[in-house]
Amino acid sequence: MIISVASGKGGTGKTTVAVALARSINYCQFIDYDVEAPNASLFLKPDIKYIKKVTIRQPYFLTNTDKSFKRCADFCHYNAVASIGDEVVFFSELCHGCGGCILVGPEGAVREKDVEIGEISKGFCPPGINFLMGNLKPGNMRTPTVQNELEKNIEYDNHVIIDCPPGTSCSMVMSVKNSDFCILVTEPTPFGLNDLMISVDVLKNLKIPFGVIVNRFGIGNDEVLNYCKNNNIKIIAKIPNDLNIAKYYSKGLSLIDFDPIWKNKFNDIISEIEKEVLKK
Amino acid sequence: MKVCLSSTGTTLDSNVDPRFGRCAYFIIYDTSTDTFEYYANESRDAMGGAGIQAAQKVIEKGAEAVISGNIGPNSFKVLQSAPGGPVKIYSGVSGTIRSAIAQLKNNELKPVTSSSVQSHYGMGSGMGRS
Ligand code: SF4
Repeated sequence: MIISVASGKGGTGKTTVAVALARSINYCQFIDYDVEAPNASLFLKPDIKYIKKVTIRQPYFLTNTDKSFKRCADFCHYNAVASIGDEVVFFSELCHGCGGCILVGPEGAVREKDVEIGEISKGFCPPGINFLMGNLKPGNMRTPTVQNELEKNIEYDNHVIIDCPPGTSCSMVMSVKNSDFCILVTEPTPFGLNDLMISVDVLKNLKIPFGVIVNRFGIGNDEVLNYCKNNNIKIIAKIPNDLNIAKYYSKGLSLIDFDPIWKNKFNDIISEIEKEVLKK
Repeated sequence: MKVCLSSTGTTLDSNVDPRFGRCAYFIIYDTSTDTFEYYANESRDAMGGAGIQAAQKVIEKGAEAVISGNIGPNSFKVLQSAPGGPVKIYSGVSGTIRSAIAQLKNNELKPVTSSSVQSHYGMGSGMGRS
């Protein structure tokens, strides 16, 4: 069973919830899909045992041959190539590696090579969490390529907890698309509600069952609760707004370290999700 | 000297457009004859790399200097590689085209040596991660 933890708005406590879930069941695979800013390893402190580079094919240009690369520049939809005189300025971060410039450019003068865009790492956290994360090189745009590499390593026969990137862009869709259930973490503020509504639309479109965890319960207003009630969305849990939880978080400790009672609560949550998923 | 200005319109009373790659028009002003031509910036709707495309065009037009509000690092890099030597870049300029030209002639503008904004400034990525 794959459970993803997502939120429209960043900083709502997504990683807090994902880590607490993993630490509650203790035997599972945990995947940090937020390859642009992975942070779950700070809390799970895995022992990294394996790192694999993620590469894509990108062009390079043999200049000083009196050939013009203008057709490459005109062709490239992402403007990754600028052709000035017989010089070429290439912007690796913008290149999507489609290979088009090789086809339209002067024959033999545009070649291809492997370029590293990031890596994936595997590790282990006792007693039984298989940890997996991706890392995209800063400035690079190829988020889904690194996520694809993560996807190849999903342990479908295990319990899988996925920590998604914030927002509702393609990188979030990549993270939730394989899940049996998605937990949306939000905070009870107007911003939280706005971004929750967008996430709900995305999940409905993807036909992924979901429920909501309200974090920092006590701040803001009742609008998130009312919205969920009016739309028949299940509120799975409310995590109170407590300065001590934040203090634990800032030390890299989890909700379970703060109060072991959460371990039981999250185990109950998982059993219930399991029941619901199996019902289908 | 041919100077290229990012402009909101097509006359000397238009304003210097704060964005280089995604400005509405480019005005090419010749300071030796005090004449100018303009062209619409076709790169403004580019998916990405608008500044790169715009900078190539500016070089093709033979401009030796560029005046704009903000010039990103990618455009900067392209402008630096012009075959006739780096294009002089005056960034952080506002007001009308006319006044910008006057300032240039009075030596009131200082060329910059590094870009004024981060990459993707014009793509709205400043609004948090999307
Ligand atoms: S491979 Fe494709 S995206 Fe990359 S520079 Fe060539 S045309 Fe542009």
